[in-house]
Amino acid sequence: MFPRIEKFDFMRFKGRVALITGGIRGIGSAIGKRFLQEGAQVVVTYFQDQDQARKFQDELGGAKAQVHQADASDFDQMKALFDQILAQFGRLDILVNNAGIRRDNLVMFMSDAEWHDVLRVNLQGTFICSKLALKPMIAHRWGRMINIVSPSSIMGREGQANYAAAKGGVASFTRSLAREVGKIGITVNAVSPGVIETDMTRSLPAKTLSELKQSIPMGHFGQPEDVSGTVLFLASEEASYITGQVISVDGGLT
Amino acid sequence: MQTPLLERIDLLANLKELIVRTLRLEDVSPDEIVDSEPLFGEGLGLDSIDALELVVAIEREYQVEIPDAEVGRRAFASVSALRDFVLEKSSAQKASDAVG
Repeated sequence: MFPRIEKFDFMRFKGRVALITGGIRGIGSAIGKRFLQEGAQVVVTYFQDQDQARKFQDELGGAKAQVHQADASDFDQMKALFDQILAQFGRLDILVNNAGIRRDNLVMFMSDAEWHDVLRVNLQGTFICSKLALKPMIAHRWGRMINIVSPSSIMGREGQANYAAAKGGVASFTRSLAREVGKIGITVNAVSPGVIETDMTRSLPAKTLSELKQSIPMGHFGQPEDVSGTVLFLASEEASYITGQVISVDGGLT
Repeated sequence: MQTPLLERIDLLANLKELIVRTLRLEDVSPDEIVDSEPLFGEGLGLDSIDALELVVAIEREYQVEIPDAEVGRRAFASVSALRDFVLEKSSAQKASDAVG
């Protein structure tokens, strides 16, 4: 017989403050919405697409999230945002480093700019936001950092050497920071989404999509909600003894 | 002029109490901490992770920042060094506030 679950807690994050970088579309926006549904005060950043930011706010239908334009890889901009969050809410409990860009190219043709931009936004951005989040988390002796990585960082992908290097760097950063702050009640984990149905994948050619599908043991693409469920689990009390891990949500791809 | 608060209170005792409370040192009482003994390594035997918590606690309690590891090494050399550091930084802070 299955154990009977006595009580579901659907408001696991009441009283918590969560910051999601790159949070107005795709996976980031799904994560923000789930945190809102479960009672967190949610702050999301976006880089520059103001139309999409408005659309995201409309989709929330009155639910209260703060949406800020900020470059997650710019220390001064993020410092200003963290100061504002701490002044207003007095705490930051959860950080999801989701902001990322891709500039795919074969290494032979890859420009320095394509290399540096991808490392700056994905890797340095994660460093900057994590560093800023440490003091408020240490002060409360509780914190959850969740970094979004990629199957590219695990198995490599042609045309994505820069992205794979950056995400592989984030995965190593995750394991190291987890060791630094575990004693203080802060967990640091990464989630590696496989092929998820977002604007980005929808724009791929049909042939590429069908090839991709064939490489996935579960035979279909994931939904942003598959990823947000895992992120919320890692941010919850149930995951309090999990740190330094990279969890793949990829239908068996890796 | 009134003597500044930090010079009137027993800052050494306050710091010892803060260290014990912040790091939950169960088998150490504040008055057992020797003023001149190192806090890290030998002496009290704290590690660099403990330092992270102390940095945040000192910043919140006394509004003085320990911006990097070098300053931290100086400030955490002993409890007396920490007292001198807090006094020095907070008076420098007040002076710059007065000018600003």
